[in-house]
Amino acid sequence: MFPRLQRGRFVPLLFASIASFSFVAQTAPSQWSSPSVTDLNGHALDPFHHAVGKIVVLLFVRTDCPISNRYAPTIQAMSAQYATHAAFYLVYPIKSETIAQIREHTKAYGYHLPILRDPDYALVKKAQVQVTPEAAVFSPDGRLLYHGRIDDWYVDFARARSSPTTHDLSAALDAAVADKPVPIASAPAVGCFLPGLP
Amino acid sequence: MKLSPKTIPPVAPLMAILSFVLAGVPSGKPQSPATAAPTVTFNHDIAPIVFQYCSPCHRPGEAAPFPLLSYEDTAKFARQIAFMSERRIMPPWLPAPGEFKFVGELRLSDEQIALFKRWADQGAPQGDASHLPPAPKFTPGWQLGKPDLILHARKPYSLAASGTDNYWNFIFPTDFPDARWVKAIEIRPGEKRVVHHANILLDREHSSRAQEKHPGDGFPGMELRIESQFFDPDSHIFFWKPGSAPHVEPPNMALRLDPGSDLVLNTHLQPSGKPESILPSIGIYFADQPATKFPVLLELQNDLALDIPPGDSSFVVTDSFTMPVDIDLLAIYPHAHYLGRELAATATFPDGSTKTLINIPRWDLNWQAVFYYAEQVFLPKDTIINMRYVYDNSASNIANPHHPPQRVRGGNRSVDEMAHLWLQVLPHGDAVPASEAGMLLDEALWRHDVARNPSDFTAQYNLGAILQLRGQTSEALAHYQAAVVLRPTDAIANNALGGALLSLGQTRQAIAPLQTAIQSRPDYFAAHYNLGNANATLHEFPQAISHFRKAVQLNPEDSMAEANLGAALAEVGELASSKAHLERALKLDPQNQLAQDDLQEVQRRLANAHKPSTNK
Repeated sequence: MFPRLQRGRFVPLLFASIASFSFVAQTAPSQWSSPSVTDLNGHALDPFHHAVGKIVVLLFVRTDCPISNRYAPTIQAMSAQYATHAAFYLVYPIKSETIAQIREHTKAYGYHLPILRDPDYALVKKAQVQVTPEAAVFSPDGRLLYHGRIDDWYVDFARARSSPTTHDLSAALDAAVADKPVPIASAPAVGCFLPGLP
Repeated sequence: MKLSPKTIPPVAPLMAILSFVLAGVPSGKPQSPATAAPTVTFNHDIAPIVFQYCSPCHRPGEAAPFPLLSYEDTAKFARQIAFMSERRIMPPWLPAPGEFKFVGELRLSDEQIALFKRWADQGAPQGDASHLPPAPKFTPGWQLGKPDLILHARKPYSLAASGTDNYWNFIFPTDFPDARWVKAIEIRPGEKRVVHHANILLDREHSSRAQEKHPGDGFPGMELRIESQFFDPDSHIFFWKPGSAPHVEPPNMALRLDPGSDLVLNTHLQPSGKPESILPSIGIYFADQPATKFPVLLELQNDLALDIPPGDSSFVVTDSFTMPVDIDLLAIYPHAHYLGRELAATATFPDGSTKTLINIPRWDLNWQAVFYYAEQVFLPKDTIINMRYVYDNSASNIANPHHPPQRVRGGNRSVDEMAHLWLQVLPHGDAVPASEAGMLLDEALWRHDVARNPSDFTAQYNLGAILQLRGQTSEALAHYQAAVVLRPTDAIANNALGGALLSLGQTRQAIAPLQTAIQSRPDYFAAHYNLGNANATLHEFPQAISHFRKAVQLNPEDSMAEANLGAALAEVGELASSKAHLERALKLDPQNQLAQDDLQEVQRRLANAHKPSTNK
């Protein structure tokens, strides 16, 4: 299935062509799409087109991970805080989670974000994430600027601070918004392992 | 005419400060490693471990966040299970292996942990279906069967989606005509995934109700202070931990539940990411027989020593206590807050040898528990219990509630610290009656606290109370006086001091502290009653009548207050009114000998009403 055009935005190249034009990926990495990434209606949705010139933030979550669940209010609040400059997407990468489960989950946890399913790990691989919750920040032209933990609330499994002291995702976003280099490109996240990754 | 010299037993504000738990899973024999299997499979090797150690919590409706009941459930988390078991994060079990075994130990063997790792490394194969053991069977609903009495919280607590840990208390009033004996209380905490642990305290005096804004609301707070005029409520611990049935007391060790007692449920809640409504219920199981054995809950503590400088990663607090009688140790419950790092207790026997009672090398408040010994531990008289806790107030302690670290002292809030060790012990009844042994234990413990810190109000007061209970009123007086010096307007301590002075015949000196008690707490029944007695003894009958009237108004069910009011009225010649009160006293308690005697006297005087009455 082809990505839909969003808000009249020009889609320069369809994903099918990317492989044969490798120079495009080097100079203009925004041309990425995967047919396996869909919204909850089963329609392919490419966040990098959908975001329309904004910074793209992917938040990887799952319905049964207590750590990513506890981050729901933080994720929702941050998406509102950066709404002018960044488009947040909630990514559910677990293949066995049903659309009904995901709908129920987003409702229960008060999410009002665009939802992506990523059963083939197309976004997982592109974002280089390992666990849930984990964040990835892309520049408007699709370059991976940061991937890793949201903050240092969890230091280990079942070991959480009373509140976080270092806000890595915010720091990356502040830098990206100011068009400056991110302080760090990656910080390991604590969370539920995504099955099948090395 | 005589007046009752009765004084009210002092109300002892026992600092019943508890909070708790988590861990869980039934006991059972450890799984042997499947060394024969070249390939580790779920059906052959992993399922037996998962079903025993994980499934009790990892199943629908229980505390764990996802089920581990099938191959599919488990394979999805294979790598994570290997990782977490290798680091002994799961299953949660704080004590290091030691000389004494606990009930329901949740400790995997090294071989079991190695199996998890090999299984994940091999891609989590399922294996031959014929090797799969039967699925574990769990009891739905109440784990001990239908309770004899079910109480529901009156109002749910709304837990916000985010924020720090939360501590909320629910009051469950009871309503039955006679005292009951309780062998177990099962706590159904509501949404189990957010209730980290819960425990129940007995509040005979309704002292917690004042903390509710409206009746039934519940109230916040990590640690509870329950006032009680009895020492026994602290002898049992009723707590909830996920994944296992509640502890059942032996039939001869049930807890007495008096009519009208409140049960206070203290819960530790952790926000889940979505708003939660917490509506707990509790099920009470009654014993067939009254208790014949009375355990005692000993508390070692040294909160006074807790003054931890910021940045100190190794602050040590100790306490020790010498057993005044032979005891059996039944259970142990170490307690600290977020700065605790290593919690340990040892016993040094009279022969000089030492054994470890519990050793928690990596304390985590979230997994605290009451640990019952698989076999009770005999500790002879003169055994010394040593408590040694190490605290980490550095920034590298991730549980540290302060950023940057701040000076932390002892206290009840979760940002304060605690250094408490509870021991549930059963005194031997051979040399002295069990109840006497229990009092000896209490007395020894409070003496120990007073000796360590003479400005410990609770210790001074409680030592006074136990001494008075044991008939050592003169010595009790000194400790009540010390308590009043520490808290000059405390109603309970002033009333106790006044009561002790009355008992010793120092009536005039009793007046001032009793008046102070009433000033601090105008609706204090015991203080009005005692002051009425003091006034009456001094022949100040109008004042005595006034205080007895107030006492009767505050507690219309007290036969002695009615009798004393009747007696005082007789003294001023109000014979008709006197007769009515004495009759009411006898209606409340037909066995009230004093009221019987006084009523006879009043009736005699009424019969001779034409003659002038004379005071004796």
